[in-house]
Amino acid sequence: MSEIKLGAKVSDFEIETYEAAKGDFDKFSLKQQMDKKRWTILFFYPADFTFV
Amino acid sequence: MGCDIVTVSTDTKFVHKAWQENEKELAKVKYSMGADRSGKLSRAFGVYDEDSGLDLRGTFIINPQGILMNMEMNFYNLGRNIDEMMRKFKANLYLSKKANEACPSKWKDEGDKTLTPSAKMVGKVHEALQGK
Repeated sequence: MSEIKLGAKVSDFEIETYEAAKGDFDKFSLKQQMDKKRWTILFFYPADFTFV
Repeated sequence: MGCDIVTVSTDTKFVHKAWQENEKELAKVKYSMGADRSGKLSRAFGVYDEDSGLDLRGTFIINPQGILMNMEMNFYNLGRNIDEMMRKFKANLYLSKKANEACPSKWKDEGDKTLTPSAKMVGKVHEALQGK
């Protein structure tokens, strides 16, 4: 995907997820969010088992 | 509020599961935990640290049209303030409905003073903030 720019469209992406609420694995994609007309907050952090 | 939070690190989804199940602080987690093993997504957002293979503390708000509305990045040693993140999200949500307004630095929630930039306000921001 291309680099991001504030105020510009983010190119579509998909990543594998763990869904704690369901205790199962799933996938998340920006296109899906746009189809559902929902906002997204992406929250990057260094590593599991450390403070966030 | 029509918003989903996705946390992302370069760990696998299996490690996410093990961490969430073991760490009591995460017992009530409802958000999606994304696995970016390749670092592809992290690189695109400029948070990937090539030296360590870890992600820096970056937060990005994307609107329902897929437009990037906000970005914030902290180095490893500084945690993020959830209240400030929520303030930014609420401001974005509010501004998506009031396109001609602007939320000043002290804006916290709907009902707080906003600004409506215009020729009249040039040099009169102080008065506008006072509501005069």
